Amino acid sequence: MAIRQKSRMEIVCKRELGSIENIFAFINTFVLEHHLSEATSYALGLAIEEIYVNMVRYNLGNPNDIMIQLRADQDKVVVTLTDSDVEPFDITKFTPKSLDRPLAEREPGGLGIHLVRAFMDEVDYEYENRQSRITLTKYLGKANV
Amino acid sequence: MFEIRRCEEGIVLSGRFDASQVERAREVFDEVTEACLVDFEALSYISSGGLGLLLGTEKRLREKGQQLTLKHMSSHIREVFQYAGLDMIFRIE
Repeated sequence: MAIRQKSRMEIVCKRELGSIENIFAFINTFVLEHHLSEATSYALGLAIEEIYVNMVRYNLGNPNDIMIQLRADQDKVVVTLTDSDVEPFDITKFTPKSLDRPLAEREPGGLGIHLVRAFMDEVDYEYENRQSRITLTKYLGKANV
Repeated sequence: MFEIRRCEEGIVLSGRFDASQVERAREVFDEVTEACLVDFEALSYISSGGLGLLLGTEKRLREKGQQLTLKHMSSHIREVFQYAGLDMIFRIE
């Protein structure tokens, strides 16, 4: 399915897990407006939540809000999460521990980033002027049928 | 909206199990001390926070020779378990 009209939506969120409710309402509005599938909706929700929660947890004392932008463009949806006044953390270079280890050796750490990579088609990271920007792209192929 | 409740068979989950609901769910899972069924039928979403809680509970139970049984999982949630490599760890019906 292709999106005929370009459009962009953004939300600015307080750095707290309580913002997740508003973030899902924001994603749902975007999904309905663009007639995206349930699978695409799940992928967007999961990827945005995982990145957002990482930004909250690893910069708890930071007073700045986090900006999430959703953009629909032809055959893809592009998500951007921007966090200000933070140390760099390039998630594209993060290697989660192997997921095929036995239960006793499994730890939840890194699972979120692994799921983001699995559910999104492209993950990009930029860091400039102490600002981290993570861009996630989901192509609307079979997953949006 | 996320709901978690105990029933005769085990635990019933419903709605969206995101990171903001993990501590609430932990209070219920921490009380599980023996084999337990977890019904996913009305659950629409789970992320790594919920998976981590299930993983921790499973580890604790296995040390006692017990385990969780997860049932009625939607295709999207099953896919999350597969990508996370957890479909090989949990008993899923």
